[in-house]
Amino acid sequence: MFVCLCNGVTSQTVADAVAAGASTTKQVAKACGAGSECGRCRHTVRAIIEATAAPEPKHRKGFLHRG
Amino acid sequence: MSAPTESHQHSLVLAMDYRVPDPGKVWPVLQRSKAALAGLGAHYVLVYTSSREAGRVMVTISLRSKDPILQVLRSRLFLDWFDSVGLQDIPAIFAGETVEKFTLADPEPNGAPGVIMGAIARVDDVPLLVSRIREALPRFADAGIRNLRVFQAFDDEHEAMILQEIDTEEDASRWIDHPDPVNEWMGESGVGAYPPVFVGRLAHLMRIDENA
Repeated sequence: MFVCLCNGVTSQTVADAVAAGASTTKQVAKACGAGSECGRCRHTVRAIIEATAAPEPKHRKGFLHRG
Repeated sequence: MSAPTESHQHSLVLAMDYRVPDPGKVWPVLQRSKAALAGLGAHYVLVYTSSREAGRVMVTISLRSKDPILQVLRSRLFLDWFDSVGLQDIPAIFAGETVEKFTLADPEPNGAPGVIMGAIARVDDVPLLVSRIREALPRFADAGIRNLRVFQAFDDEHEAMILQEIDTEEDASRWIDHPDPVNEWMGESGVGAYPPVFVGRLAHLMRIDENA
């Protein structure tokens, strides 16, 4: 999926950046550019970081949900 | 599979699944964007509303474009839509093509519209998945599935979107709670960038004349 429309970064590219050691949205932005422009994809970047870091796949219970 | 960049016209399907404070705003915004959609090469826009989660909508756009996918996605149109419906966090967008369609039941004239289940997930092998679905079609039909479409992402050959129409909400619940062994995508949706399985109904359909 295309996560960052500004820079055309895909979820796989973000996951690769996380697998290579990026563990914050800032580090992901530095590694692959996702979220470095308007920043409106950081919610999804965060979800990818959490899913990649979790020992079991973490399901998105809070999927773009606002209270 | 890499995103096509060649200059000839290609067909693609975009899908976005998100929650908005007022889903009633989505369709008017899309209607106002009809000219811009035509400019992008869109020929069908479908809006589905969730029957389970307030405010959740799924929008699919079929288009033919000479422009590379990234250029289509970078169109100001998308960010303008998200702004217009009050969405601050933008959703990930699926971009791919139809690889298979299965029709298990002919639509009945004046029959009740079915329930739509949509899932986007990573799968081991999309062609193998299609083959396994084909073998399992009798079970799918028994479960109430009317039709099914499999899409493969342009940016990731392991990423698929599966849209299914099923008879009723009860059938959808059974299908999700007790998925067929073929439905590997059910366990993978809702992880990372992928939204949870969408369950809802078609709310609006826009057909755009290419010559408009």
